[in-house]
Amino acid sequence: MEVIAEGGKPFLRPDPDGFRAWVAEKKRRELVDKLTDEADAVRRLVSDGDYLVYDCNYLQRGPNSLLREVIRQRKRNLWVGGKFTWVDAGLLVAGGVVGQVDVGFVGPWRDQWRRVRESGIPCYESGNLGMTVRLLAGAMGVPFLPVRFLGGTDSFYQTGAKVVRDPFTGQAVTLVPALNPDVALIHAHQADRYGNARVFGTGIAHLECALASKKVIISAEETIDHEDFRRNPQRTTIPYFLVDAVVHAPFGGYPGEVQGYYGGDIDHFNELIGALEGYRMDEYLEKWVFSLASDREMLEKRVGLAKLLELKKRAEIREGYR
Amino acid sequence: MTTKTYSKSFSEGEFLVCSLAKLVENGRFYWVAGAGSPLYAVIIARRLYAPEAHYITEDGVIDPEPAIPFDHPFMGMMTSRSGYRAVAWWTMNWAAFLASLGYMDYGILNTVQVDPYGNVNSTHLGGNYREFERRFGGPGGADAIAGLCRRLILAFPHEKRRFVPRVDFISSPGYLDGPGARERWGMPRDSGPWRVVTTKATFDFEPESRRMRLIAVAPWATKEEVLSEMGFEPLVAEKVQTMELPTEEELTILRTELDVWGLTQQEGRWIQF
Repeated sequence: MEVIAEGGKPFLRPDPDGFRAWVAEKKRRELVDKLTDEADAVRRLVSDGDYLVYDCNYLQRGPNSLLREVIRQRKRNLWVGGKFTWVDAGLLVAGGVVGQVDVGFVGPWRDQWRRVRESGIPCYESGNLGMTVRLLAGAMGVPFLPVRFLGGTDSFYQTGAKVVRDPFTGQAVTLVPALNPDVALIHAHQADRYGNARVFGTGIAHLECALASKKVIISAEETIDHEDFRRNPQRTTIPYFLVDAVVHAPFGGYPGEVQGYYGGDIDHFNELIGALEGYRMDEYLEKWVFSLASDREMLEKRVGLAKLLELKKRAEIREGYR
Repeated sequence: MTTKTYSKSFSEGEFLVCSLAKLVENGRFYWVAGAGSPLYAVIIARRLYAPEAHYITEDGVIDPEPAIPFDHPFMGMMTSRSGYRAVAWWTMNWAAFLASLGYMDYGILNTVQVDPYGNVNSTHLGGNYREFERRFGGPGGADAIAGLCRRLILAFPHEKRRFVPRVDFISSPGYLDGPGARERWGMPRDSGPWRVVTTKATFDFEPESRRMRLIAVAPWATKEEVLSEMGFEPLVAEKVQTMELPTEEELTILRTELDVWGLTQQEGRWIQF
């Protein structure tokens, strides 16, 4: 196959056989109880230097209690898959946990980009769809997939993608390498203790992330009986054997909205965006992460029952989310 | 279909949204960024002019009847209000499949910087990729929208610094360096920039050269003024049209149901007749 152009930048190398070996050795086929809390799941399953991907984001059904725990435990040198993100990369960069960033969309925040520039954190540019197609290839167990975008842009030269002559049509086509992250963090609406999970509403690439990643942590608003999955299999989004830990995390998506369950905390958004634009992220993280032992403590001490009830009340639209 | 009462008092930002709304074609599919003027324009058009114009956003929501206003300018995707009464809730890859297959007739994008071939920069200004002067969030879904939709519409405030001979970084593809370039890079042959709409003017792309061409100006602007506020010289159509004013009906929807924060009212000058 003729290679017409190469992005030439680093990317997490696809290793389909390596992934199969991981699945053979590590992924339990039995139904085992995986219920735990954020601290334990992150301690066991997120390692320094891991490629980390989260699905959805801090404002919209993100795995936010898990992201806060990653920062609280001061993980280091993570390679972050920053797709469809308003503020998550900004939080992680300010938390000092980031070694590299794959950019889909990560926001224009002054605090984030000053830290990236000053620390020389390498960034690469796949775009949101470049990221989700890379994850799809990872989920399929193949080394790459062709797309009809990315090639021709300057972003292309900040990726590991290649443009080749397609052997079937003879036309140029862009190949993006598969992405198999070390760990995925996904916030679901419902899960059972074995890891079966339901995600309602639209989403970014939660199933691709769960399939493509070596280690998967699900946090869920509700834990429900395993029988509920058996009785309604059509509603299962992610089956148990893909999942390594389940965290029962009511309001785990705070301050973001979880569709059908609660609204986003707009006051908090403004505080956070103000901190990202005003270089006050150290202060923000001290208040919302480092000064607290757990997410439960954050909800009790910083958010409070009145706010939580208000956010729950704001979930006026429930059709399709139960 | 509906009465049109032209407004006598509005901002240039509001004019831009209403101009986009008038371009929306009935019976077509739109892939829009889920925040700001692209989404607002399609929602206004569906109400007033094009009830069978349908849209998807990157999160895979298919043809919603959104519960507006949204809770926050960033909450136009992945929320119960933005996804309300859709025909399907998918995810991002599936949205892109639709575009790759050719279902996405139009894409609408806001942008930071644009060049004569309609190339779009939303990555960095000044310096280079690693040592930038100002860095933005990256393309998000815009590179796929620009790469795959049949007709791409670009929208931004009319400012000299935004029109440059060559963008600092091509985040999302226009016609790249001219005719045939998109095809050479593997993009669909029936795709590419179609219109540029600013707070003062409308451009198309001349079919032979694929270069931006002025085709209309706002009623309060002159051709000379529009050209003087650009960092390159576009082609100019033989007959430059006058754009329509915003209507009261469009502005009422925009102000009371969509941009309830008044952000578009603060863009550009205030126009008063």
